[in-house]
Amino acid sequence: MQHGVAAARVEETEPRGARPGRDAPYKDYVLAKAYDEMFAADGSVRPHCAALHKRLSELDSDELARRQQACEQSFLHQGITFTVYSDNQATERIIPTDLLPRIVTAEEWTRVEAGLKQRIAALNLFLRDIYSDCRVLKDGIVPRSMIYGSKHYRREMRGLPVPHGAYVNVCGTDLVRCEDGRFVVLEDNLRVPSGVSYMLANREVVRRAFPGVFRFARVQPIEHYPQELLATLKSLAPYQEDVSIAVLTPGVFNSAYFEHAFLARQMGVELVEGRDLVVNDNVVYARTTSGLKRIDVIYRRVDDDFIDPLIFREDSALGVPGLFNAYRAGNVVIANALGTGVADDKAVYAYVPRLIRYYLSEEPIIDNVQTFLCREPKSLSHVLANLDTLVVKAVGESGGYGMLVGPHASASEREAFAEKLKADPENYIAQPTIQLSTAPTFVESGIEARHVDLRPFILHGEKTTIVPGGLTRVALRRGSLVVNSSQGGGSKDTWVLSS
Amino acid sequence: MLSRVADSLYWMGRYIERAEHTSRLLAVRLESMVEQSKEDADRAWARLAAALSAEEFTAQSHDAFAVTAALSFSRYNPSSLVSSLRFARDNARQVREQLSTEVWEHLNRLYLRLQPVTIEQIWVHQPARLFRDALEDIYTLGGVTYTTLRHGEGWYFLELGRFIERAQLVSRLLDIHFGAQMNPELATPPKYLDWLGLLKYCTAFEPYCKEHTAAIKPETIAEFLLFDPEFPHSVKFAVDRMRDALAHVAPGAPPQRRAACERLAGRLKAAVDFGQIDELIGGTIDAFLSEITRQCEEIHEAVYAAYIAYGAETVL
Repeated sequence: MQHGVAAARVEETEPRGARPGRDAPYKDYVLAKAYDEMFAADGSVRPHCAALHKRLSELDSDELARRQQACEQSFLHQGITFTVYSDNQATERIIPTDLLPRIVTAEEWTRVEAGLKQRIAALNLFLRDIYSDCRVLKDGIVPRSMIYGSKHYRREMRGLPVPHGAYVNVCGTDLVRCEDGRFVVLEDNLRVPSGVSYMLANREVVRRAFPGVFRFARVQPIEHYPQELLATLKSLAPYQEDVSIAVLTPGVFNSAYFEHAFLARQMGVELVEGRDLVVNDNVVYARTTSGLKRIDVIYRRVDDDFIDPLIFREDSALGVPGLFNAYRAGNVVIANALGTGVADDKAVYAYVPRLIRYYLSEEPIIDNVQTFLCREPKSLSHVLANLDTLVVKAVGESGGYGMLVGPHASASEREAFAEKLKADPENYIAQPTIQLSTAPTFVESGIEARHVDLRPFILHGEKTTIVPGGLTRVALRRGSLVVNSSQGGGSKDTWVLSS
Repeated sequence: MLSRVADSLYWMGRYIERAEHTSRLLAVRLESMVEQSKEDADRAWARLAAALSAEEFTAQSHDAFAVTAALSFSRYNPSSLVSSLRFARDNARQVREQLSTEVWEHLNRLYLRLQPVTIEQIWVHQPARLFRDALEDIYTLGGVTYTTLRHGEGWYFLELGRFIERAQLVSRLLDIHFGAQMNPELATPPKYLDWLGLLKYCTAFEPYCKEHTAAIKPETIAEFLLFDPEFPHSVKFAVDRMRDALAHVAPGAPPQRRAACERLAGRLKAAVDFGQIDELIGGTIDAFLSEITRQCEEIHEAVYAAYIAYGAETVL
């Protein structure tokens, strides 16, 4: 089969169901409304994907299946698993990895990188502001009630300086590609984002599965992420000699435990649990065989609520009593800082473009998904008039609660929801339904299009670093837009090409 | 090293040693039972169940199938092979970042391979082979550990666990064969094949023959398994390695915290260094063996008090 411009046929009568290839393994590949990462709308192969496309056409599906199986086996042996509990039996499952890489060009990445750096700069300035002068509230850019009413706002953080003004040191921003091919931000994860170990593990197995294409494509490396993370954490310490750093994990039962252990090992720092730490005279120590050892920087993978039972949830067994006071005394740095969650809820999200203009006097490089804040009367009437095309979300909720998916709801459901909206507009936002882009994904019968998003990981300390790419999550069920691992999602390697 | 990490490595060492011991006992027993009468074989199986403290799971029957079933893949018996491997792996998972990728993957693969097996699947065709394979995998794990892990404090905690466990397991095995005559089921003295089996349980047959020729004498066997300074499965060897490991753990701990462990280890070493087989064989061997087990327990407790479970207020 040829590749390039003439590789695919688009059926004129059915522009929304084009099949870009007649031959195996692409025989079931259907281009839908969404942007496709490998094929242009006319069915031709995008030039930067040509080498991969060609290689995949040469492999028969048995060989692909063998490589896929080898990859799953390797994850199982490495223990890259999460635990599912049912009937008192704990079963370990792997998070499915799709072998076919998702490819991003150097130009696209340059823009994304600049946009992410701009965004994290603005978000950190915003956090510093709301925990100190509150200029943004006084100037009326963001409503006070939205901040003080947020359950992630930590008044304990008021007036507490953090090193370099860096509240968010590790950020995972979820990007999606619109139908026109632009990347937009779907969500910021500013608390304890996870997934970076999958990014690195995927690269390991995919490089082994497609060594030739990998070398030929000149993929930018990501393996230095642990060193960059270490440098970021180190830059937060008050002194630079003999800095003692630890990763704080909730423990082996946490679903991201593999990642915590992986990062600690890769950075060469201690992996600690709450029960390993003791606080004496506002200094944090780890209990070692040789005695107590002082800890200077904690990369915590424990939520705010559980970090110190004396200040936050008193029933927390994961935390360290007295940790917050040691933090307040400046004797230990906690990354990410506490209280960052206030800046990643759904209502604040809608304000981020305004925050970028307010703090940086720049236009946002990456847009948000268009968001209507129902607290604004003009938006509310628009939302009420277009309920059948919009997704409406409650700002304080997550995980799909309190949500209306307009196109899938019945007329009576929409009417009932409209009443709730009118009664409490401040609690809701609305967004158009987004068609995430699709990428070639290995399925039983060959290669098909599946929806994907992209989570790059941004490190922010003395400087901002982003390793090229991130975690591409993929909805493995045909037509599904849900990429979460708990709901049939998997992940892919992400190749950012060199310019 | 974090105290919690030391704790996990120590137990990982103990459980791997226990898994090795269990697979070897089962492999040897299954291989040699074909040469024995039913009565002799049943007595040997009863001894094996007692040596692995599994009497409560084999109370109904002491035939080959029942004992093998209880000691191999039973989830409910905490000292079955698969349980030992599961505990070893759980501990390894707790300290995954301290282990080399090779060590972790080797152990993980072994566990994942054996965990779904059932006794019914293997019983028909050469069940001994599975335990031989498991045993070889565990030997390889020892080599992988030796060659890919830094021989630092963590390594010595693994060693400490391994050799405390070994000293206790071998003592127990000797006790079942030499002492324990009060148990009516074990009252019949072991026969030639049982003494041969005892050597093989400890991988000692060939080294014993090199040292003492193939003359199988219970007294010489006891001496070899207790006091040989160079044989890795002798009690003396285990005690020496235990002491060596204790000298290397917690390098930064002040001398007063090290003292208790070192004193206890020294006392145990004196007991095996100056023990005399002709004094013991006359009748005090079971007292001697239970003394070794008790002293191992004391060392365990002293290690916990000094390095692992100490109160923070005692060191501030």
